[in-house]
Amino acid sequence: MVTGKGGVGKSTVSAALAVLAARAGKRVLVCEVNARERIAPLLGAPPAGAQIREARPGLFTLNVTPPDAMREYGIMVLKFRTIYDAVFENRLVRHFLRVIPSLAELVMLGKILFEAKSEERGRPRWDVVIVDAPATGHAVQLLRVPSALLDTVPAGPLRGDAEWMQALLLDPARTALAIVTLPEEMPVNEAIDLDAQVRSELGVPRAALFVNAMPEARFTHEEEARLESLAGEPPPLGPAAAAARLQALRAEQAQRYLARARAALDLPTTVLPLLPVAEWGAAAVERIADAIAAAPPEPAP
Amino acid sequence: MTPVRDTTAGRRIVVCVGSGGVGKTTVAAAIALDRALAGGRVLVCTIDPARRLANALGLTSLGNVESRVPDHKFAEAGLRAKGELHAMMLDVKRTWDDLVARHAPDPARRERILKNRLYQQMSSALAGSQEYMAMEKLYELATDRDYDLIVLDTPPTAHALDFLDAPDRILDFLGNDAARVLLAPAIGAGKLGLRLAQLGGGYVAKTLARFTGQAALSDLGDFLQGFQGMYEGFKDRAGAVRALLSRPEVGFVLVTSPSPISIDEAMAFHERLHAESMPVAGLVANRVTPDLWPGAAPLPSPEDLASPLGERGGNDRGFARRLAETLAEHQMLAAAERRALERLFEAVSAPYAVVPRLESDVHDLRGLARLAERL
Ligand SMILES: Nc1ncnc2c1ncn2[C@@H]1O[C@H](COP(=O)(O)OP(=O)(O)OP(=O)(O)O)[C@@H](O)[C@H]1O
Ligand SMILES: Nc1ncnc2c1ncn2[C@@H]1O[C@H](COP(=O)(O)OP(=O)(O)OP(=O)(O)O)[C@@H](O)[C@H]1O
Ligand SMILES: [Mg+2]
Ligand SMILES: [Mg+2]
Repeated sequence: MVTGKGGVGKSTVSAALAVLAARAGKRVLVCEVNARERIAPLLGAPPAGAQIREARPGLFTLNVTPPDAMREYGIMVLKFRTIYDAVFENRLVRHFLRVIPSLAELVMLGKILFEAKSEERGRPRWDVVIVDAPATGHAVQLLRVPSALLDTVPAGPLRGDAEWMQALLLDPARTALAIVTLPEEMPVNEAIDLDAQVRSELGVPRAALFVNAMPEARFTHEEEARLESLAGEPPPLGPAAAAARLQALRAEQAQRYLARARAALDLPTTVLPLLPVAEWGAAAVERIADAIAAAPPEPAP
Repeated sequence: MTPVRDTTAGRRIVVCVGSGGVGKTTVAAAIALDRALAGGRVLVCTIDPARRLANALGLTSLGNVESRVPDHKFAEAGLRAKGELHAMMLDVKRTWDDLVARHAPDPARRERILKNRLYQQMSSALAGSQEYMAMEKLYELATDRDYDLIVLDTPPTAHALDFLDAPDRILDFLGNDAARVLLAPAIGAGKLGLRLAQLGGGYVAKTLARFTGQAALSDLGDFLQGFQGMYEGFKDRAGAVRALLSRPEVGFVLVTSPSPISIDEAMAFHERLHAESMPVAGLVANRVTPDLWPGAAPLPSPEDLASPLGERGGNDRGFARRLAETLAEHQMLAAAERRALERLFEAVSAPYAVVPRLESDVHDLRGLARLAERL
């Protein structure tokens, strides 16, 4: 499960982790949750729609949406497609189901976890399922669904599903939560709050922190001090020093937020470089995958 | 040139929208500060501001409390306000509770709703709830207070358009026709099964209950019954908010980062505002990499930098090479951003401001004032 604030690089990290697993010969499924499809394009493949598609050998993608998940789940519970069609294709009923809070989350999570435990010829269908989860708040809503149901729903098929889903989510041998953040104030604060919530409330095993888009520490303090005055020089030196000064300041600020994230979160941490590229796509994802492979997570302090 | 500052100058309400993390809260605060410095009596209603920005505005807690930024905070930042800057943080739950209290016919009904589990979930966690309440609060502030300007920040939605769509989705839920047919009018949760049975034969009811559980259906029945008769009030109110947002005294400011994804969102939002005849005050391209090497001259090589560097303290450890690389990288990004933004400015005919990525993040009045200069 990969989550973090909006725009921090969740899809990028999910895609990179999938690339690494596929490189290691594993059969991988990456699930997006009701998103504007990003994963397949990040892997250099055309958008796959709501079906499971092979983006590259051994690496499959799926965008889980409420209507599709609802249909699959409905058919699974009711066993007969004809009943599903008769009842659920009824316009009134569809509308009604759409507004029951959390039902969409339930069926989407159900679909994902069902894939995670499904088997083919006695073997797990997937070696790894990577979930490019929604941003923090919505991810919490998603992961909270099974326990919320266990609190409220009496015995029945729904409760049975909530039970196995919760068991799978909480099992450290099978599930791991990764938090992605940027070395910036709001994303780091959100990561810290999320981590606290996971620990106190959700109980999903926490496994890793990715600090993404870290600018390189390229200049020494001495050099940085010189840049201040050099930036006032005429071209070409002035503009070059000005660019360098901005880079240095940004790197310094990022260092402070990285330190804050490290101090507040006792998670194995992987720092990923800020890549200066004009277009974000498959090539960038490969480089991020290389960076993850080259930097095994530093153990938590 | 300060195009966005100029087009927002005549407005009484400014709404900052854009995709997550682009700088909505920062730009909202900067616009508010700017007008307060110029003599206006201004309120900025923020949503989840960064802690340090909240501190800078003197905001310590939620609760929809409007508080005036004290003079000494301005003085510390080397500023003097001719007008007044007030700030508040939106409290979603509280706004919901107030709304229910306003529309409930009697205290018993109010209590019944406030205690309903579904209501509690909806008012704190349901997706879109924040957006809906931001609009609701704006309407209240715009009608009950006499600020010269109210600046509304909007929630950190993944997709900017959620801000316009979410309230309808929630109203849809409250006024759900299907649910109404199934559950209303005037049936208690206990008679739910009966009512369901009337719809297309008994097996539909049984199947639905099997799917969602009887408890979920009962909760929902109770919830909708609580809201019985209040829906019209809610809907009228939402209609009034829409009407307010179409008035010329309102201006939407579309904030975007120079990334293609965020630009696409800004364009989609603009199209939508246009379609709904809601007034756009301007575009803010925020955190843009400034062009440090204008013109067509080729970028300097390390050798070009080595000799002037040599005269000014030396060129150790490949300093010149690193400087040349950093400038080249910087300019590559600046050019890519410029191309992306040109597409936006061509597609959208509205006044626009390009705000550079400042040297550090913006979390105090001084930084906000600097940013406002560029609007
Ligand atoms: N390491 C990096 N270096 C430079 N830019 C990056 C890096 N990682 C991500 N980005 C930029 O950030 C953008 C968002 O990344 P991504 O789509 O992975 O984030 P996300 O968290 O999945 O976003 P969302 O919340 O919208 O789903 C990318 O399109 C890219 O421009
Ligand atoms: N022009 C700028 N230069 C440098 N930093 C900036 C600039 N504008 C905003 N920031 C910083 O970027 C971060 C995000 O800004 P802000 O919180 O205003 O975004 P937002 O759109 O409100 O985010 P959210 O969608 O999470 O509410 C803040 O730390 C802010 O200080
Ligand atoms: Mg994503
Ligand atoms: Mg904000």
